[in-house]
Amino acid sequence: MKFQIPIGPQHPALKEPISLRMTVEGEVIRDADIRLGYNHRGLEKLAEDKTWIQNIYLTERICGICSHSHATCYVQGVEKLMEIVPPKRGLYIRYLVSELERIHSHLLWLGVAGHEAGFDSFFMYTWRDREIVMDLLELISGNRVHYAINTLGGVRRDIDEGQKAKILEGIITLRKRSEYYFHIGANEPSFVARLAGVGLLTKEQAVSLCAVGPMARASGITRDVRKEDPYAVYDEMDFEVGTAESCDVLGRVVVRVKELLESYKLCEQILHKLPAGDIVVKAPRKAKPNEAVSRYEAPRGENIHYIKSNGSDKPERLKVRAPTLANYPATVEMLKNGFIADIPLIFAAIDPCICCAERTVSLVNIRSGEETVVRLSDLRRQAIERHKNAPPKRNAVWPF
Amino acid sequence: MKIAVFLPELIRHLFKKTATVDYPFKKLEVPKDFRGTPFLYPELCIACRACERDCPAEAIEITSVNEAEKKFQMVIHNDRCIHCAQCVDSCPTAPKAMGMDSLFEIADFDRHNLKKDWVFVRAVIKPKAAAPKPDASPEAAPKA
Amino acid sequence: MAVLRTILYLVVYPGLLFLFIYSTFCEWFDRKVYARLQNRMGPTHTGRFGLLQPIADFVKLLAKEDVVPEAADKRLFSLLPIFGLAVVSTAGLLLPVWNFDLAAPGPTSFSGDIIVLLYLLSLPTLILFLAAWASTNIFSTIGGSRVLTMLFGYEVPLFLSVLSPAILANSWRLAEIAAFYQKKPLLILPNLLGFLVAVIAVQAKLERTPFDIPHAETEIVGGTFTEYSGKKLALFRLMMDIEMVVSAGLLAAVFLGGFPGGALIGFVSFVIKTLFVIFLLALLRAMTSRIRIDQVVTFAWKYLAPLAVLQLLIVILLKGILP
Repeated sequence: MKFQIPIGPQHPALKEPISLRMTVEGEVIRDADIRLGYNHRGLEKLAEDKTWIQNIYLTERICGICSHSHATCYVQGVEKLMEIVPPKRGLYIRYLVSELERIHSHLLWLGVAGHEAGFDSFFMYTWRDREIVMDLLELISGNRVHYAINTLGGVRRDIDEGQKAKILEGIITLRKRSEYYFHIGANEPSFVARLAGVGLLTKEQAVSLCAVGPMARASGITRDVRKEDPYAVYDEMDFEVGTAESCDVLGRVVVRVKELLESYKLCEQILHKLPAGDIVVKAPRKAKPNEAVSRYEAPRGENIHYIKSNGSDKPERLKVRAPTLANYPATVEMLKNGFIADIPLIFAAIDPCICCAERTVSLVNIRSGEETVVRLSDLRRQAIERHKNAPPKRNAVWPF
Repeated sequence: MKIAVFLPELIRHLFKKTATVDYPFKKLEVPKDFRGTPFLYPELCIACRACERDCPAEAIEITSVNEAEKKFQMVIHNDRCIHCAQCVDSCPTAPKAMGMDSLFEIADFDRHNLKKDWVFVRAVIKPKAAAPKPDASPEAAPKA
Repeated sequence: MAVLRTILYLVVYPGLLFLFIYSTFCEWFDRKVYARLQNRMGPTHTGRFGLLQPIADFVKLLAKEDVVPEAADKRLFSLLPIFGLAVVSTAGLLLPVWNFDLAAPGPTSFSGDIIVLLYLLSLPTLILFLAAWASTNIFSTIGGSRVLTMLFGYEVPLFLSVLSPAILANSWRLAEIAAFYQKKPLLILPNLLGFLVAVIAVQAKLERTPFDIPHAETEIVGGTFTEYSGKKLALFRLMMDIEMVVSAGLLAAVFLGGFPGGALIGFVSFVIKTLFVIFLLALLRAMTSRIRIDQVVTFAWKYLAPLAVLQLLIVILLKGILP
């Protein structure tokens, strides 16, 4: 006897609103239907109204956990458009913050996986150690989330010797604790019983459904933008891409812990090789008409930004493809033939950053009940027809 | 696969100091360059409006109070501010007229209490000044 | 006079008021130990050391709005929390703390009262299932079916392991079992395997991690308690707390040698022994993660039940050897 269970939009397992409607038979899931759009904020349209510098802060606020990855991806694209190259020291500091952000994101994810499985002690311990990374980031950039250390042409703040020593000290503590968590995660019987064999995604399925990030790497595909398409400092660094062969949630835990250990290595290399010099070059106000695509390896996978300029000081079009959006079709496949008890774990295993992925809207016709996904050009055409070609309002009036 | 592999670590924590702090009875220290709330040194400002142009949240408002005396009023809307410190970076004077302090407990019941304003006379730029003094005109810095 | 005494017995001590105060104290202790094991502070602010926190939670829930879903069976929905509270409070009266005198037993100590206690403790599971069924919410239905599936797992090992020391002591009366182990304390040691099995089975009965599947927060929102709010939820939570105290008391009476020493010292020993059992339960809660419902049944029948049977065999052997 089949019935539908709604997981979300409000549910304790989800940190953000998303609607997953599962068709269940007993305790086994037969089908899943994902609906997005609860967190849509119109960021791509907002970006067309703000200058290049103001957009750094806007793209940073697409997400709280992977804020630096969106800002860096955007800044990389704009630097390509403006044809400026930041100095070496600026690049090193920028990607040091990237690796620190990867560490904080993976520790957060380990805690969330523990909490979804019911293992609250693990959750408390990993988040306690995440405080070390947050304090280091606060030391470097002035804030615990939304670091805002990027600017067009480099970074805004420099690192001095005292901060460098503190970062190295923090990394030593974190490395010891991460190895302990690896030991626990692989050996605690109740935890492993929850994770092993859950959420299977074979290698062929991962390739055909375009999985990115640790999802793909846990199915044995070695895909990492830092290795395939090395940008900035990564071709001078020595690191490996962590993979696992088990294709299930336990494999994804293993991949993320391996990435944690690699990030510690990368941070130490960056700090030891930090060159002297300037941290920023001056960037022009306007960019020549051109378009650029920028790729970046966020903690969740591959992040793509497409930026088009038309010669003024505001972008013509900004398109964001967050990694979680690419992982949704694979999630639907993984949820089939799983248990209800595994839903939060499978969904948490893709490391969902739902607000990153709110780029599409599906329109529902109230009278007929049918759903369509509409392109931006079609929406634009409908809006222009409706308002009969009136010019868009700039400098909106503030209500307060 | 070991049973109770977590147990020794758990028992050890019974005797450790807690990681959580009894806020708000014990305050936390913030580091040196923490981004708190922005404020103005009115005697240094040349009213170039670079901060107003670059603020992502439209939180700075500079209006002319008196054309003849070159008096300006700057209002910083702290309720719109996102604490990014771009205004400090964009300020072209040396020493900078915009500063950032370490206050982070600025919550209030009425958002209008969070707005700060200054009325000042625009500082005069002398082309070649000797050394920057905090209460005298700044060195020649080109208006952005 | 006797009527007044009985009423005081049922309402003040050891009845409702005492159980209310003591169970909130035990919940505070459980939360504090759980927090310290996780390197954080636990309740700190309400009252000294946070002692009044569970009472504050109870009072807050009483003040909240009470919503009854339209499709639910209203009378059953409203009466079930009161039934649950009545059942566990009655079970609390049977503990051998206040009726320890073997020569002049009170009305709550009789031969076979251990069976009555175990029966009264398995009624809350049925009440939770009925509450889930009466809520007509899909999450509650799944929670209710999980409650009954877990009952198939842990009930047999619990009964077997609790009855083994009773068999060794040759009696079905809690006060006599406690007195037997007070006379021969060394015989507690062969029952330690049963103690371990009983602690794990009690954790499953109380629906705490690793067995908090029926009201798994991250999966089915609230399970049996999804539609309950306000006063009814307050009574349900009080029922779970008193069930914890009574189960801890049962384990302490049967496995840890009862509460010797008369009225005052017996009461102090009751407090210490039940807090020790609750400490073990909190440790188990912090140490493991939640397991799936099919894994519970597999675990119970593959490991717990054989261990309980082994304990029974040890007891039977001992009875043959000892004079």
